[in-house]
Amino acid sequence: MYSNPYNNTNFFEFFLQAFWRMIGFIKGDLSYNSLVSDEVQLIVLTLVSASTALVGCLLVLRKMTMLANSLSHTILIGIVVAFLITTRGSIESSHDANMTINLSAMIIASIATAFLTTFLTEFFVRILKLQEDASIGIVFTFLFALGIILVTTLTRNAHLGTEVVMGNVDALQLSDIFPIAMIFLLNGVIISLFYKEFLVSTFDPLFSSAIGISTSFFNYLLMFQVAITAIGAFRSVGVLMVLAFITVPPLTARIFTKHFSTMLLLSLMIGIGSSWIGVAFSRHILTIHDIALSTGGLVVCVMTVIFLLSIFTFLFRKPNFLNKFRMTPSDELLNG
Amino acid sequence: MESPLNFFFDPILRAPTLGSMLMCLTASLVGVIVFLRKRSLLGESLSHASYPGVILGVVIAGYIGLSDQNEAVLSLLVLIGGFFSALLGLYSINFLENNLKIKADSALCVILSTFFGVGITLASFVQFNYTNLYRQVQSYLYGQAATMTDINVIIYGILTIFVIVTILLFLKEIQVLTFDRIFSKTIGIPIVVIDMIFFILIVLAVIIGIRSVGVVLMSAMFIAPASAARQYTNSFSKMFIIAGFFGLLCGFLGNYLSVEISQYLAHIYPNERVSIPTGPLIVLIASLVCFWSLLFAPRQGLLFRIVRIAKFKLQTLEENVLKTLWRRGEPLTLKDIQAYQNGNIFTMWWILNLLQKRKFIAKSSHTYYLTDIGKIVAAKIVRLHRLWEVYLANYLEIGVEKVHKSAEEMEHVLTPELEKELTAFLQDPVLDPHHQPIPAK
Repeated sequence: MYSNPYNNTNFFEFFLQAFWRMIGFIKGDLSYNSLVSDEVQLIVLTLVSASTALVGCLLVLRKMTMLANSLSHTILIGIVVAFLITTRGSIESSHDANMTINLSAMIIASIATAFLTTFLTEFFVRILKLQEDASIGIVFTFLFALGIILVTTLTRNAHLGTEVVMGNVDALQLSDIFPIAMIFLLNGVIISLFYKEFLVSTFDPLFSSAIGISTSFFNYLLMFQVAITAIGAFRSVGVLMVLAFITVPPLTARIFTKHFSTMLLLSLMIGIGSSWIGVAFSRHILTIHDIALSTGGLVVCVMTVIFLLSIFTFLFRKPNFLNKFRMTPSDELLNG
Repeated sequence: MESPLNFFFDPILRAPTLGSMLMCLTASLVGVIVFLRKRSLLGESLSHASYPGVILGVVIAGYIGLSDQNEAVLSLLVLIGGFFSALLGLYSINFLENNLKIKADSALCVILSTFFGVGITLASFVQFNYTNLYRQVQSYLYGQAATMTDINVIIYGILTIFVIVTILLFLKEIQVLTFDRIFSKTIGIPIVVIDMIFFILIVLAVIIGIRSVGVVLMSAMFIAPASAARQYTNSFSKMFIIAGFFGLLCGFLGNYLSVEISQYLAHIYPNERVSIPTGPLIVLIASLVCFWSLLFAPRQGLLFRIVRIAKFKLQTLEENVLKTLWRRGEPLTLKDIQAYQNGNIFTMWWILNLLQKRKFIAKSSHTYYLTDIGKIVAAKIVRLHRLWEVYLANYLEIGVEKVHKSAEEMEHVLTPELEKELTAFLQDPVLDPHHQPIPAK
């Protein structure tokens, strides 16, 4: 067991220490197995925020974030399925083990969940004739409720339900790096392969179908990406905070740019930056105030602060910006 | 097994039962308005947005040294915290949409997830600093009715009454505003005030509800009972009553099953303290009530719609067969008849059997022919067809070559009253636009 070199470091010492350690890795003095908990957290959160930033930009521009919201809830059923596949149905043996899931199980489960969610929502709207907002709402709450009950009864562990939603960065191990790295690679490959297609079908669906690019195919592909990213991220940040990772960095980037590629790059930077600052803060607070806060939650807080600061700088550049804070109910908000 | 009635009187069980029922009642009533305004996802965002305030309430409670025995102050702090944090969430959504032109779905999502993230951070603070209050924090995630006491019930009861009275007082205004904003503006309803009331009702329903359903699943209680109620009625006020009834039912059953299943699990796994949270069960039951209503509700349910469509298709096929026989004026074999229809040979055979039973047609060796009654029925259908063609051609000035298709459909739909009107209107014509005779009545 290595002693953690990050113990008793404050915010700046943390980065300094990380820098020296990084040089150590490059020089070959330190090996993969000597990664300590903080470094695992840094790597996993970097990969998570990179994946979510890629997917999130497309979701925000396609106005599909509410589908991401419903997927982030229904993914719980997927996690239960993936868990059953991984343990070959024997819940007993893995009773108090961490919920580790292998990669192929993740892929199967996320395809199944993405399909089930989309299909059920469509079924409610088209066949059962329920209005769209209610259909989305009823489908994901139903599946999530079912998921919670399954998780609690199957594993007979009341904490698991909480952990799935809250995430637990501190429980991450070396073995968690591989799956999320693969997921990041998958997202990266898909988006760089279909960059043009995504771009066209996002900004001009009519034109894209005219030249033979199916918008609905790319919708399904994106849903699958959201699902697998959410599964990959649930151990570290939980299924609900993934949503912040997906929406906040792209929206922050959107304030500063109108170019898609710049937006991708900026949201990657914001996502990864917030993750690093979040982890360092978590360590800082533990060192100085002796309080262990949820690192995932802190990363989201950092993202929120960056988002707020961006809004302020944006508003400051405009004349009479104080008027912006007056409460004016919009018709869009009221009528949907 | 406890008897269900016991849940209302037993000193330990009655508070959770009544508490859950009150909460679900409030959420269902407010849910009707949310549903009709198509703002279900706003409920989702606001329920998550209340989480940091709830936890902040717990933190303050911990700071001033309250233990979880001090239910009254604790739940008041939590309620107040949740109320303001949900209001802040509402304001932020509004601000993002109006002033930064962020799309509605993104704005809802951002507020939902960032508020929740802040809540989780605060929750970890409580877990670390005020460990004895951490159970509280967890119970607001998925709801835990079992730990409620009579004091909670009294507080929630007062809030519920407040919500119901507000809805009753402003029922007319809310109704007009929900269905026609522009009209309500012209008749001088203060839109901003009513909207504010609507938002405050949502926020109140959220903070009452999260104790038994939890922030994560709260939005289901806005949606499910209202969607179910919509299947049974078209009336605004009846929808409140039906939704309220469903809410009470879900609240009771969810709580009842949560207690029973947890006891059962404790019985078979005595070493593990497993309890099923109330929220998911209430939501599961509400969803099932909703699915049932969507599938089997009279008039609007899927099953009844399918039956109605099938009935109409059958009637259309029958009438088309009669028409064919009438027009050809000679006995036809099964094959001949099928050649004129779109339907396979078995359907045709089945329909011919049905028609035989109703004595519209008769069979001799291999051919079918119209009976006297059948002739009258068939003539009536042809009459409707040709009357409609006359109407289209002469009065709506539609090209003669185009009228047949519409008449093929209308002949199955026109009622005897409409036929009478048409006959009078067209002055009982004898020839259709294709110069075919129209059978007399």
